Parts: sequence; structure tokens; C-alpha cells
Amino acid sequence: MELNKLENLLNTIITQSESELTSNLIDTLNESKEVLLKSYDSLANEYDKIINNGKKESDKLTKQIIGSAELESRNKQLAILEEYIEKVFSTVTSKLENMARENEYSKFLSSLIDESIKTLGTSDIEVSINDKDETIIKSVLTKFTTVKLASKRIACLGGIKAKSKNGAMILDNTIDARLANMKPLIRKEIATKFGVNN
Amino acid sequence: MAKSGIQYSKIAEIKGPLVVVDDVENAAFDELVEIQTTSGEKRLGKVLEVGNGKAVVQVFEGTTGLSISQTNAKFVGKVMEMPVSEQVLGRIFDGLGRPKDGLPDPIADKFLDINGSPMNPEQREYPRDFIQTGVSVIDGMLTLVRGQKLPIFSGSGMSHNVLAAQIARQASVVGTNDEFAVVFAAIGVQYSESEYFRRSLEESGALKRSVLFLNLADDPAIERIITPRVALTVAEYLAYEVGMHVLVILTDMTNYAEALREISAAREEVPGRKGYPGYLYTDLSTIYERAGRLRGKNGSVTQMPILSMPSDDITHPIPDLTGYITEGQIVLGRDLFRQGVYPPVNILMSLSRIMKDGIGEGRTRADHQEISNQNYDAYSRAQEVRALVGIVGKAGLTNIDLKYLDFGDTLEKEFLTQDVDENRSIDETLLLQWKAASLLPKNELTKVKDKFISMYYKSTK
Repeated sequence: MELNKLENLLNTIITQSESELTSNLIDTLNESKEVLLKSYDSLANEYDKIINNGKKESDKLTKQIIGSAELESRNKQLAILEEYIEKVFSTVTSKLENMARENEYSKFLSSLIDESIKTLGTSDIEVSINDKDETIIKSVLTKFTTVKLASKRIACLGGIKAKSKNGAMILDNTIDARLANMKPLIRKEIATKFGVNN
Repeated sequence: MAKSGIQYSKIAEIKGPLVVVDDVENAAFDELVEIQTTSGEKRLGKVLEVGNGKAVVQVFEGTTGLSISQTNAKFVGKVMEMPVSEQVLGRIFDGLGRPKDGLPDPIADKFLDINGSPMNPEQREYPRDFIQTGVSVIDGMLTLVRGQKLPIFSGSGMSHNVLAAQIARQASVVGTNDEFAVVFAAIGVQYSESEYFRRSLEESGALKRSVLFLNLADDPAIERIITPRVALTVAEYLAYEVGMHVLVILTDMTNYAEALREISAAREEVPGRKGYPGYLYTDLSTIYERAGRLRGKNGSVTQMPILSMPSDDITHPIPDLTGYITEGQIVLGRDLFRQGVYPPVNILMSLSRIMKDGIGEGRTRADHQEISNQNYDAYSRAQEVRALVGIVGKAGLTNIDLKYLDFGDTLEKEFLTQDVDENRSIDETLLLQWKAASLLPKNELTKVKDKFISMYYKSTK
């Protein structure tokens, strides 16, 4: 009798434990499923984040590589263009240096002296020239009685450097100075001929 | 303008950065002058005063080494001009606009007066549309608008230059195919800083759409007067002739104002506040007012001048007068900087006055203004709560106060703080704003419409 009771009790305990265990297992399974589901979401988020960051990084690198390459090629183009512009200038300079000092040039010198007198506001000036212009300037100066020729020669392509009597004002009207003043505009013209800035 | 090209050899006086030339006839105010020594060295200057046969010339490269007997001054007969063309993009110049990158002078399309031509007020268009800087606190709460002038007030040693470089690298116009360019003028910066700017733009690939003007700390101070002007001349060309949207970053305007003070002192003018000339306001306005948009022109000039406030004093004449002219300010806070927060923007002291015209539906997002207002309001409350914690401790706070405290920390850690090379889109920025706001109960979000709350509020429970 006692044994039966004990067996019943054991059976009850076992049944209860079984049902508790099953219920726990079901709960745990559900929880695990839930965690798994959530982790899918966070995994997907994490995945998106990694992909996004990777895309950003690759965009950045692309931008960087393309930007540097474009700049480098542009800079090389600029350097080549400048080389040719300088070639044009040196050709022009040597042509100017060796040009014939004839009638046209004499008129040019007269106009430079006229301009210098007007700019300095006095006809009492002294002009400096280079060695090559020594002969031609003498004939030009016959028209300008108040203009004196400086004894010292200057190094230039041509033209004159005018100085007021007291030496306080100087006007550089040499071809070199005029060329230097006009250089930025001439560079633009040359570049246009080469097809830049069109 | 005077007859051009006359060289005067009678130098009456050399005083600081000024050279007084005698027996000068017909010189014009602001005329460009070439100062020449007998050794052939040439420096540039401009006429500051003319009269009684004298001309006062301000020498940009300084007067060190010049002597009265061996110096000539050639009056060029025109004001200082900057050669401009699209070729200036990707180039690096010195403070006077001369190439510093070893490349030749750009082939000019035009030669423009560096003082600019005043904008016809009738032709001005109201600043509109958004410039994305990729910096959350600026894009989200202090939005920069095309044509605006929005200064950054900083202090010595703070990270304003890092922020400036980040903005220069990342800034862009979104939702349009219009071209964008950055003109960056460094005024009186250290060599290491100038290298940082150069490298930063080069390495990010942003240099090809940028123009850099670098005036170093050891360059003559007077050159600093010219640097912002040449930079703005290039910006105006790119904006109004080429049709680009141009962001001009000028750092550090305090160095500019100090150069102005140096000249003013040399001219023996009556000093104003802290020794700065009385015309500091007018002078600054000739720079800041060159920002804007013009009717019938595609481009825009937006300015972001950066100035370091001596002793962090916001009432100092430079930030004070700048604040009168510009449309808001971004203030960097020493406390945040000390805590290691980058960018250390003091949100509550900062303001973008015309932000409302650059954001919202069709520009950024419909909820932008409201969430920004909400966060500003809540951050202000968070600061009050922080002050309260100092007195009663956290234990004395109510639940809602604790939530505001949490909000403040999150806003600083997640929204305000970002990496130096982190470029956030406006959507990411707004997401972070909502993330912080979602720490508060819905009923605390009184500045945002319910429809936006239902769309973007994410409960943290």
C-alpha cells in the first residue's frame, strides 16, 4: 500500500517535472527564436552599416585617386604650355634684338620720346639707350632739342629710359619694360593660339 | 588713374610698413606701386594717401632692408589686379596671389580689381538653399546657406583649423548638378597648419575643386590685408562668371585685423577700441559683404570667416564687429574642447540666422527646422539640469530631469561628436537628432508636429 502511494507520488513528481521541463524548453526555444530573429535584424543592420561604410570609403578613395590624377595631368599640361609660351617669347626677344634699326624704328623711338615727355610732364629729359641704337638716336634727337642723351648705355632690347632733369622721375620706356608689362596679356593670346582658354 | 610707369626716386621716409615718396604728381588712391631696390629686388605696395606732392605707400612685403637713398617707387597706374580663369582651381597661391606650387602663373581669362565691385543691392538675391558640410552640428542645427556669411568664433589653440579643413574637404551642394568650389585663404597661419591644409585637400582629392591662398605667420603682416581680397576676387569670378557655388573659408581674420592695426599705428591714426582703427567695422564689411548671390547669375559666394577671440572674449572688437555684419555665428567652446569633444561647438551660443531659408521640404527634409528647434530647447534644459546636479546631486533629480541629462550626454556624444574625416549626410544627421530626441518622452517634444513624431520618433524602451 505504502509502496503504491510512493509510486504515485513519484509519478506525479515525474509528470510535473516533465511538464515543467517541456514548458521551459518551449519557452527557451521561443526565446531563442526571438533572439535569433532580433539578431537577424541587428545583423542586417550591421551588414548594411559595413556595406555603407565600405561604399563611403571606396567613394572617398575613388574621388581621391581621380582628383589627384586629374590634377597631375592638368599640371603637366600647364608646364608644357608654359614651356612653349617661353619658347615663343625667347624667339620674339631674339628677333627684336636683331631687328634692323631703320626708318620704322626711328619713328618708334620718336614716339617713345614724345610719350615720355608727356608722361613726365617736362621736355627737359635725359634718355638712356643701348649700344645698338647709338647712331639712330642721334638723328631722332635732332627733332627734340631739349632732350639729352645720357653718356651711360643700358642693357635692353631697344627703346629708351627717360629721366627728368633733377633725376627724381624715371620712365622705363624700353621694349623690355613694355614687353614685361604686356606679358600676361600676350601669354593669354599665345595660349589661345595653342587652343587653351578658347 | 595717374600716368602709368613713372618711377620716383625721392623717398622722404620709411616708417614701419609705409614708404613716403616725395615730389609725386598724379598718383591715385589705392594705385599699385612697385618698390625697387638698386639690387633689382621688387616689392609691391599700394597708395594709402596722396597730397602735397607726397604719396604714402603701404608695402605688402614689408620694408625690411629698404633704404631711403637706394629705393625707387614705380607707380604702375592701375589698382592691384588678380589674374583669374578656371585654371586657378587646384592651384596654391601665396597671400598676394602669386603661385606657390611651382607652376607658372595661370593663363588669365580676366584681370580683376582685388577690391571687387560693389554689389548693386537691388540685384542681390536673398541667400537660399543648403550647403552640406558633412559636419552634423553645422548641417543639423546651424545650417549654412548659399550666399550666407557665417563666421566661426574660436579661441587660441582650439580645433578651428581642423574644422575648417574638414569643411573645405567635405562641403558640397546636394540635389543639384551645379558645380561647387572652395576658396581657402589662410591668413597668418603657421607653416605646419598651412601644410596640414594643403595635404588635407590634396589627399582627399578635394584640391581639384579648391583654390588655396596661404599667407604664413612669418610672411609680412601687411600681406594679410591683401589675402582675403585676392581670395574673394577669385571666388567672385568663379561664382558670377563661371556659375559655381563657392564657399570661401578665411582663417584667421584676427590676424587680418592685427595687420590693419599695425598699419593704422604706423599712420599715427587715432586708435579705437584695443588699438584697432576706428574704421575696423567698415573695413571688415568690405570683406564680409562680398558674400551673396546676384539676380540672373547662377553661382553664389558663401563665406565662412574664422576668427580666434583673444582670451576667448566674445566682446573683443573683432568678434563683436564681425557679429554685426555676418548672419549668425558658430562659437567653439573651451569646455567642450577640454573634454575632447570634436567639433567643440557651443550649440547654445551659436546661431545661423538664415538657416530657415536653406532647409525644409525640397531642400533638406520637412522636419529639419522642428527637430532642430526641439533639440536646441532640450539641450538648453539639459544644461540647466547639469547645473542643478552640481548643487543637489543626481539623487535629487526627478525622472524627467534624468532623461534630459541623458539627452544632453547623447546629443554631445553621438550627434555633436564626430571624426575628423567623417562625412555625414543630412539624413544621417537628422537620424542622430531624432535618436537623441527619442530619449525624451513624446509629450516633451512640444516643438515638433505629431506627424513627424509618428514618422521618426523611436522609443528607446
